[in-house]
Amino acid sequence: MNFWSIVITILAIFVVLVVVRVIMGPTIWDRLLGLNMISSKIIVSIVILAVLLDKSFLLDIALVYAVLGFLGTVLIARFIERSGNL
Amino acid sequence: MILYILSVLFTMVALIFMLLGIVGLFRFKDFYSRILISSKVETVGFITIMTGVMLYSGFTWFSLKVLLILIIALLTNPLSTHAIARSAFISGYKIKREEKNG
Repeated sequence: MNFWSIVITILAIFVVLVVVRVIMGPTIWDRLLGLNMISSKIIVSIVILAVLLDKSFLLDIALVYAVLGFLGTVLIARFIERSGNL
Repeated sequence: MILYILSVLFTMVALIFMLLGIVGLFRFKDFYSRILISSKVETVGFITIMTGVMLYSGFTWFSLKVLLILIIALLTNPLSTHAIARSAFISGYKIKREEKNG
């Protein structure tokens, strides 16, 4: 059992805890905040998987995921702010 | 060997910070308190865990790519948090204050 595999397991448990908040969130912005946090944790998980497997191309996937997660969060926030009128 | 011990220490500190962020996400009542505490603590955990990975990998191209991901996340994470909070404020989400007068 490697150290980084323990870290990636703990990150998966954190993602499950945030999903509980997303399900029981009172408002829609709580769910959006949970989506942002899950995106951040998935980027960290991909980087640690690249360290664990010693494959360098996984970092490019993490980079693309960072940019796309930011774009998705900002677009959904603007969509809610203008009440469904882009 | 000392770099390995240092990277393990940084990673465990980062996991503790992320756990504190999740506790803050469940602890507070208002949405604005939740978004404040979770975004701050998440950013600190991101910086710390990426520093741990860079210390583990050493001075290589791998470490440079990790640094690039860290810079992009540091640029975009406050922007997305600000977009969510601005969306909540413009849409008219108000905090219910306790009425103590009278």
